Amino acid sequence: MMIRNKDQNSGKKHHGGQEMPKQPILAAKRRRQLHPFFFRIGPAALSICSVLLIGLMAVLYLSQLGQAVTANQQIQQFHRQQASLQRENQDLSYTIAQEESPTYIAEHAKSLGLVPADSKAVTILVVPHLLPIQIGQSK
Amino acid sequence: MSAQLRRARIRLMFIFLLVCLGFFTLLARLYYWQVLQSQSGYKLAQRADTEHIKNLTLDAPRGLIYDIQGKLLATNVLRDDVYIEPLQFTLDHPDAAQGELEELITTLHQVLPKESVEKLHLAFASGQYTARIAIGIDPSQSEQLRTLQLPDVFLVPRTWRIYPGGSLAAQILGFVTQNDSNNRGNYGIEGMYDALLKGKPGSLTAVRDLQGYPLDVGSINEQPPISGANLTLTIDNTVEYMVSAALADTVKNLQAESGTVVVINAHTGAVVAMAGAPTFDPNHYGQYATQQGCLGSEGVFFNPALYCAYEPGSTMKMVTMAAALDQRLITPDTTLNDTGCMTFTDAPIVCNWQYMAYGTESMTQVLIHSANVGAAHVAHDILGANRYYPYLSRFGFGQPTGIDGPEEAGIYLSPNNQNWTISDLTRQAFGQSILATPIQVAMAYEVIANGGVMMYPYLVSKINADGKVVTAHPKIERRVISADAAKLLTEMLTQAAQLGSAKPAQIPGYSVAAKTGTATTQGISADQTEASVVGFIPASNPQFVILVKIDHPRKAIYGSTAAAPLWKTIAQQLMWYYAVPPDQAH
Repeated sequence: MMIRNKDQNSGKKHHGGQEMPKQPILAAKRRRQLHPFFFRIGPAALSICSVLLIGLMAVLYLSQLGQAVTANQQIQQFHRQQASLQRENQDLSYTIAQEESPTYIAEHAKSLGLVPADSKAVTILVVPHLLPIQIGQSK
Repeated sequence: MSAQLRRARIRLMFIFLLVCLGFFTLLARLYYWQVLQSQSGYKLAQRADTEHIKNLTLDAPRGLIYDIQGKLLATNVLRDDVYIEPLQFTLDHPDAAQGELEELITTLHQVLPKESVEKLHLAFASGQYTARIAIGIDPSQSEQLRTLQLPDVFLVPRTWRIYPGGSLAAQILGFVTQNDSNNRGNYGIEGMYDALLKGKPGSLTAVRDLQGYPLDVGSINEQPPISGANLTLTIDNTVEYMVSAALADTVKNLQAESGTVVVINAHTGAVVAMAGAPTFDPNHYGQYATQQGCLGSEGVFFNPALYCAYEPGSTMKMVTMAAALDQRLITPDTTLNDTGCMTFTDAPIVCNWQYMAYGTESMTQVLIHSANVGAAHVAHDILGANRYYPYLSRFGFGQPTGIDGPEEAGIYLSPNNQNWTISDLTRQAFGQSILATPIQVAMAYEVIANGGVMMYPYLVSKINADGKVVTAHPKIERRVISADAAKLLTEMLTQAAQLGSAKPAQIPGYSVAAKTGTATTQGISADQTEASVVGFIPASNPQFVILVKIDHPRKAIYGSTAAAPLWKTIAQQLMWYYAVPPDQAH
């Protein structure tokens, strides 16, 4: 095609200086026709396609961004929930530890009217050859 | 070209140049703001980053402390600090600020009754961007404030170190000073293991949203925090409580100034309980800043078992006997003539308490009678300085025990010291002219209970650092005396407890090996004593070494009357709690 165009452009004078009729319209038309892929597309169509493509990409991008922001909000929500649960867990652990503490138990027992056992009232029975339980194992 | 056309061209050229100049000016300004002021000057890039990039320090949770049974001794909780925005409040309520302010302050005062109305008025009048009005409020108060959603009032959570047992084991644990910027462990385990307990803070750099929350999309630079190590102590919470409560009662009943109890596992050296009175509540440590313990020589935050060095008195006679027995210079039946006082050619006279004369007495009887003359005779006439002082050192006097935590080393004069005289030897034989901490004296008795072998005392049984668990195993420090000497001494101490001044420490069903001590300090009244009892139980198969020391008791001043009853109470409770079978018919 290019050779043909060249021929057409270069062959202005033929047969003893007789001027050949110009064919600029077809050449220009053909030059303007771009072939990005396997089909021919005009500049206007290309512009529209480009705008559409960019628009589509923008929509996709915004959609992705929106999803990411939503996901982020969800993650934040989970983080807050986790922090709240951790806080609750800490408070519960503390409450358990406090209520398991001998100080608390003794005070509670006193408030219920209990008194320490009288050690003199305890009778000790001696079992011959019984060895002490190793401390740190079981009571 | 006509003149008119030329003028038109000049005008056009002028306008063009003006436009160019304008563009160049704009470009220059752009360069100024975007390049020159970006990194320096106004540092616009940095200021822009601070607008939308959030740098957070992620606090590492401080490690927890457990007792040997896995009960929490120290933990962390989140509590809210309450902040107000005085400036913003003024801007939000320009017209009717006073009425709104009164209403807000009244509501705040209702929720936070500790914060006076005047204080709240002052805070709102401060004109600051933010002002903190309350620290570490209760969870119920936080909930109320959240529900009320008061304008220009917000909550900031903060981690607090909390001790569920209150004052229980306070002098072992220490406390954490809590500042806005830094939490630091002080005294006890908190101070000693501060670096391990506090962990390593992390960091987070991320773009933030309008609310200021970091976005989890985009570039995030996160360095997660490393939690502090969890420690498990050898202390048993229940025994600690029992010991502390009994000590506090005794100190109160005897109108004593202070007291100390140490309970050690006789075979491992693990500290089972360690209590001091007076003590403090680490949750409110600030209230105790001026309170003194250890006869006014130390603050109440110091552990008296490790810091409060004293003259052990007659409890040191065991060490004198141990040195002589181990070198086979005496036997329990070796005798001397005790006339109540003994004169030395090179040292001042030594007398028994109330100049009591016992006539011919064996070494066992020296312990039973707690005779100063007998102890001084052994140290001066039988052992001599060369054979006595190595044993003081081997028993660990004058040097730190190596327990987890700072401690006093104690002190005594030896021939290496220029000021030493032979009088020091004769007096040290019965526990004067020597300063030892309760833990040192308890560990000296641990040697006898453990067949002559000294273990390292320890308080931390397990360290769990980020999943890596390190368990402390009992460690032998050294053999101090032979097993035979330890056995003989156990028999002597058992008899001393049965027939001597430690009789009130006897427990039905159990054999007790113990020695009392009543020390007076030179320069103060003789009735200002430091009454103590040290011993182990059951003597036939020792499980626990117990030391009780009562400082300046008023109602009963001797080891046998002031300290021995408490020793008995503690020993009996231990036998029952650990279900140690009795070893004696009664």
